[in-house]
Amino acid sequence: MVTVPTPTGTPTARGSGRTAERRTAAASPAGEPRRPGRASGGAAAARRETIAGYGFLAPWLVGFFGLTVGPMAVSLYLAFTRYDIFTPPEWVGFGNFVRMFTDDPVFLRSAQVTLEYVLIGTPVKLAAALAIALLLNSITRGSGFFRSAFYTPSLIGASVSVAIVWRAMFAGDGAVDSSLQILGIDLGGWVGDVDLAIPMMIILVVWQFGAPMVIFLAGLKQVPTELYEAAQVDGAGPVHRFWKVTVPMLSPVIFFNLLLETIHAFQVFGSAFIISNGSGAPGGRLNFITLYMYKRGFADMQMGYAAAIAWVVLVVVAIIAAIMFRTARSWVYYAGDNR
Amino acid sequence: MKRFKIAIAAVASAALLLAGCGGEPAGPSSDFDPNAPVTLDLAFWGNDTRAGFYKNAIAKFNEKYPKITVNSTFLPFPEFWEKRQIEAAGRDLPDVMQFDYAYLRQYSQNKLLLDLKPYLGKYIKTDGFTESTLGIGVVNGVTTALPIGTNAWAMFTNTALLTKSGAGAYTGATSWDEYATWMGSVSKAGGGSVWGGTDPTGRIQNFEISLRANGKNLFDDAGAAQFTKAELAEFWGKGAQVRGTGATIPTKRLLEVAPKSGFGAGLTTSELTWDNFGAGYAGDLGADASGLALSAPPVTKAGAKDLYLKPSMLHAIAANSEHPEASALLVDFLLNSQEAGAVFGTNRGLPASSTHLAGVKLDPLSQKILDYETSIKDRLGAAPPVPVVGYGSIEEKFRQLGEELGLGTVTVEQAVDQFFSEMDTILKK
Repeated sequence: MVTVPTPTGTPTARGSGRTAERRTAAASPAGEPRRPGRASGGAAAARRETIAGYGFLAPWLVGFFGLTVGPMAVSLYLAFTRYDIFTPPEWVGFGNFVRMFTDDPVFLRSAQVTLEYVLIGTPVKLAAALAIALLLNSITRGSGFFRSAFYTPSLIGASVSVAIVWRAMFAGDGAVDSSLQILGIDLGGWVGDVDLAIPMMIILVVWQFGAPMVIFLAGLKQVPTELYEAAQVDGAGPVHRFWKVTVPMLSPVIFFNLLLETIHAFQVFGSAFIISNGSGAPGGRLNFITLYMYKRGFADMQMGYAAAIAWVVLVVVAIIAAIMFRTARSWVYYAGDNR
Repeated sequence: MKRFKIAIAAVASAALLLAGCGGEPAGPSSDFDPNAPVTLDLAFWGNDTRAGFYKNAIAKFNEKYPKITVNSTFLPFPEFWEKRQIEAAGRDLPDVMQFDYAYLRQYSQNKLLLDLKPYLGKYIKTDGFTESTLGIGVVNGVTTALPIGTNAWAMFTNTALLTKSGAGAYTGATSWDEYATWMGSVSKAGGGSVWGGTDPTGRIQNFEISLRANGKNLFDDAGAAQFTKAELAEFWGKGAQVRGTGATIPTKRLLEVAPKSGFGAGLTTSELTWDNFGAGYAGDLGADASGLALSAPPVTKAGAKDLYLKPSMLHAIAANSEHPEASALLVDFLLNSQEAGAVFGTNRGLPASSTHLAGVKLDPLSQKILDYETSIKDRLGAAPPVPVVGYGSIEEKFRQLGEELGLGTVTVEQAVDQFFSEMDTILKK
């Protein structure tokens, strides 16, 4: 911080003092004569202001505590119980967690397919988003149209109707199967195929690359052109410029998108539910952790167990986010940092 | 001060918003007026065909009671129960429900269903029922549901499809091996587009009838399993053999046509299921039911009483209903009236109420069901105990594991272990 010396030679503390004075003056109605005991009147006004502030916050606070913190606390309690909704919860300690990791192969497989989906789907989606953003950044005519066109799938991609269309497209003799057969590739239907079900879901999520693409595009516009010019003068080709200029300058945006999309990928539910008819078929390959949690809770009425799964998912996502933040220090470059 | 007042107003309006729920359900009232405007929610499971029947039946009901509006919703069976479970948690069940035997104990024990006794005779006529059919919906001495109809396990065959593919008909009541051989012959003739049937070991009912052939049930009166891991492994092992010959439709194909079954999608020529599924199949196939035939399931042990009659479905009224009398009138109409009988036929099973049955114009399909249930008289034994709490989940787990066995994602041994571990967790309650 830079200290500006004042004419009197003292560091400027007066400036802020003046602002405070002005603020008090503004709070009391103009022209009102100053009465003795003004200090306590000011305190009352401040208190009223505080109350008013909390009053305005109240609707949000009620929602936050009633609909978020409260249910979370209850679900944490339920995670240690056996609860079927109909009868009161029964305390089982760590029983649910022990069962999850030692006596429930379906849970372990569900965790495995979820990780597979997240670890493959997210990078592929981001790569697609970045590639298209680079393309759109380089064209001058019609970029607005293409931006909207590529963005649309991310608005409708999570809808039930798209999931139904996806299911029909990837069924045996559906659009995808028929098209591939023309090319001489006969894979059959994907919907019921143990090996192709996850790739089908990944295609669905990659198709919704619009949201990260728009963010990448905004990031690309911020990269100073002089950096490219300087690189070009130094003889850097397009590939070099991409790796040495674009990627480092874009790294905060990449990090932001990576974090957001990873967390988002863990939440996959609707499309998997619709495509597998709510069962997680084929062979549990679409039985993502959210779907499994839902079925345990609402089909099997094992609310305690479902709550325990929810907390495990929360902790796992938190750990992954923490690792990302930790490693970000070594690869994310903030232009303002090295002053 | 003005800001303070605005803030207070904001808090008050938020509180009003939050207070939007409440209200105690009304008890049975003596001054009920059937002509007062009332709206009822009715929920059932089924397909478009059945939804059409309900629509017609409600129209007939409204001719009698024009002021009672009925809003009906329907879902496939598994989703129907997921939705009910959530509603049960919030005590917000629809007024009138089509109900399943498998969930009756759980809902009754938790006082989610209206005690129908005060309404029997007054709003719901009982003279069409026999003593034993009235007893079906009694749990711990309280009548919480009345049976709509009864059904039995049966074999459907698609004779139209069989003729087209040039394979011979299934005669019924053969051995399981002969059934598998027959399926194989159909699949061979079908050339990869039509199969003889679906692997029967994916359904718990087929396991049940093979247990019953040896004098056991799935569960005893106390709710304990009456079968061993070895018995289940042997049963699923047979399934692997049948699938290995290519006689049955690949599981992959079944997943693609779900929620229709292979039979409903016109891909298989036979399926073991409840005998009232014919109209639903016809609807799924988009054909009339004349091409469907009913025959007896394969025999595990000659002379055994492996089959039984169970309530195909019941009607129940939610304890949280605000209009129990109007709901009772609707239930009475759906259970007893000849008009409803004429509309539904045997879509919901062979009607339990004789007055309802009187209205059923026995169309060829209904006649087939009646003939079928007469033909298996010698194989009908005593019904098993009222299903254990959580039976629905156990049945679904069995189906899912059958599917996984078909896909080859689990071994028989793993599937058996998973099934027992799941069953133990559910029964521990």
